[in-house]
Amino acid sequence: MTHQPENVQKPLKKGFRHHARKLHGRFTKYLLERDTIFATAWVFIFILAVKVIPLPNIHFFDPIEIGLEDFDFNDIAYSNLGKGNYANLKLGDTTKFDHRIVLINIGHADREGIAYIIDKTASMNPKVIGLDAYFEGPREPHKDSVLQDVFRKTKNLVVVSRIKWAEHEKKHKEEKGKETVEEDKDHFLKDYFDSSYSQTGFGNLTGETIGTKRHFSPYEKIDDSTHYCFAAMLVKNYDIKAFNRLEKRHDHNEIINYSRRVNKYQLIEGDDLLNGSVDESALRGKIALLAYVNNNPDDIEDKLFTPMNSKFAGKSIPDMNGIVVHANIISMILDHNYINKLPSWVSVIVAILIGWLFMSYFVHYYLESHIWFHLVAKFAQLAAAILFVWLGMHLFTRYRIKVDMTLTIVVIVLAIDIIYFYEAFAVWIHKRFGYKTVFHQKQH
Amino acid sequence: MKKLQFVILLVTVFGTMAAQNNSFLLYSVKGNVSVIENKTETPAKIGKILSGSASLKLANGAIVTLICNEAAMFTFGKSGTYPLNKFGDSCRVNTSSMGSNYVKYVWAQMTSHGEGSPGSNRKAFMNTVGAVSRSINNIWIDPRLDTVNYSGGEFPLSWKSYAEAKTFDFLLYNSDNISEPFYKNVVSKLKIPITDFTKKMVPGKSYYWTTAITGEENDELKVLNYVSKETFDKLLAKLKSAGVSFESPAEQAYRLGFMLEDAHYLSEAYQFYTKAALLDSTNVLYRSTLMSFKKDYEVK
Repeated sequence: MTHQPENVQKPLKKGFRHHARKLHGRFTKYLLERDTIFATAWVFIFILAVKVIPLPNIHFFDPIEIGLEDFDFNDIAYSNLGKGNYANLKLGDTTKFDHRIVLINIGHADREGIAYIIDKTASMNPKVIGLDAYFEGPREPHKDSVLQDVFRKTKNLVVVSRIKWAEHEKKHKEEKGKETVEEDKDHFLKDYFDSSYSQTGFGNLTGETIGTKRHFSPYEKIDDSTHYCFAAMLVKNYDIKAFNRLEKRHDHNEIINYSRRVNKYQLIEGDDLLNGSVDESALRGKIALLAYVNNNPDDIEDKLFTPMNSKFAGKSIPDMNGIVVHANIISMILDHNYINKLPSWVSVIVAILIGWLFMSYFVHYYLESHIWFHLVAKFAQLAAAILFVWLGMHLFTRYRIKVDMTLTIVVIVLAIDIIYFYEAFAVWIHKRFGYKTVFHQKQH
Repeated sequence: MKKLQFVILLVTVFGTMAAQNNSFLLYSVKGNVSVIENKTETPAKIGKILSGSASLKLANGAIVTLICNEAAMFTFGKSGTYPLNKFGDSCRVNTSSMGSNYVKYVWAQMTSHGEGSPGSNRKAFMNTVGAVSRSINNIWIDPRLDTVNYSGGEFPLSWKSYAEAKTFDFLLYNSDNISEPFYKNVVSKLKIPITDFTKKMVPGKSYYWTTAITGEENDELKVLNYVSKETFDKLLAKLKSAGVSFESPAEQAYRLGFMLEDAHYLSEAYQFYTKAALLDSTNVLYRSTLMSFKKDYEVK
């Protein structure tokens, strides 16, 4: 006759505790060993050497290197995890429709058409109007005259301007084989209606010309005077407190917290506005942004690459109109939803601590269960990559903290190869100098 | 039992209240759309905020997109009247968390083995066509049916479909109201005999018709003039008198068929082409014309 145990959960609990203790032991048994610490140090020495030693660029043919040049793990949150979609409110209220900003599509309207759209917009009493278009040189005199008149009388209109950095211009000319320019100062590019604008804000965004736009500069000093960006100027007119908060951050390279695609802003066609199909209250007291907007993915005029691109790596097409990028910046400033960057030393410390822990785990398997070493190491690397990518994205989307987990992942990946190197090195100095090492008894 | 009834009543009341409290922003409006609020009908305007008690009335071909509670977007694309309090469900948003989405994503990526490569699995990768599309509508109606004059007889209105479809909506409109069809029929063939709806029409009046794959819209309207017998007889007499004296009956029938076809009297032209072919069955021209006519207009 067999006896039924009184509490069947007991052995199960014991089993969990036993396995947890076992796992803990695998991570910590060799944690304080000299070899673990030195092997971890060697990983960082190797990374530092690759960075510091001026090796020739051996990656110019590397498709992975080229493909991931503009890659950020956080982009996965937009492309695959639903951030910025209508269907995902849990990620924060900022992804709601932004009723404070209205986009008005100027389409391919000529200067006279743009003048009528501005005039009609102004008549509907928005708090501030932004025009994301520039005008080079004169065109038909009467049309220019109509537009100039509208610019003069619309005092709450902010028009985009363009900074030309001398350094960039020089490099560009040199690349084209032209002589360097005499004008070696940073300056604003001329606009035909410059004298008629009441307010301007520079529309330059920070990023590679054909790369993802992740940053913007709120203000720049040129000719001893401070100039604000397009979005900042619009916020200055709309909500001075939000503008002051932006100024106090003193950050020249703010990360854009993208929260909305074009369908999260009211989009009005210029024709609809002019033919009276728009409700009188649609623009009252709001920020009206006039620009070229199109939802056709095949039309890439004034479209930029953003982290919201549905393809986060590899070949793709630009996904967002410039004005929607500006609208995202405005939403961020108004909501005070800035992304805070953790200092790089924090990333280094995190990488050291986690790298050390994983090195201890790998050393344990290397010495005590070598047959399983590679299999376990690969699984551990995969699990670590999944975990740390999630952690980085979670901090980014939930707490708006940008932590660079790349170094941590690189350390874990390199750890396995470094163990082999370190083993040979430790055995060599053991034989030569009598250095005590855990590797000298078990060589592989 | 009373408690249960009370709970059900409470749930219903709160549910209705919640639906009424939703606010809807008119995000985009295309075509003829009106808002009915407090029994007053006004044209729908972009940017207007509607309460849950309002209704939207869409004419044929109109599309309206709404945003509920600044969080959920949905579209009405079919004609009809939509009381917004019945669309509380559309205001709900998915609250799946980032973590669960991430787990789903990682799992999908790890279990996906792809479809090979273009080199090894050619058919899986031959989905991109290197050409532009220049047609939006799936239905093609022969331009010769743009205007049809009809006084009687068996004759179909036909079309072609570029997409596979089991049924088609045939819509007939009064010329003074193209927003609401007064006759609608669902057909499985690519044609409909005019005799199916002659009882709905009044001789001497003009109508518009169109057809679309069931569930789709087609803005292309064609004209159907229902001509009275007297008007047609007058025209026929005029055409007959235009002939030469030595014309045989078969020749006259063929000539009348040709002239009536030219005048968009297709049903009547068909009768005369048939008559010509019967009167002179040895004439190859009469026969081939009749065959081509039947083929062109999908006459049985």
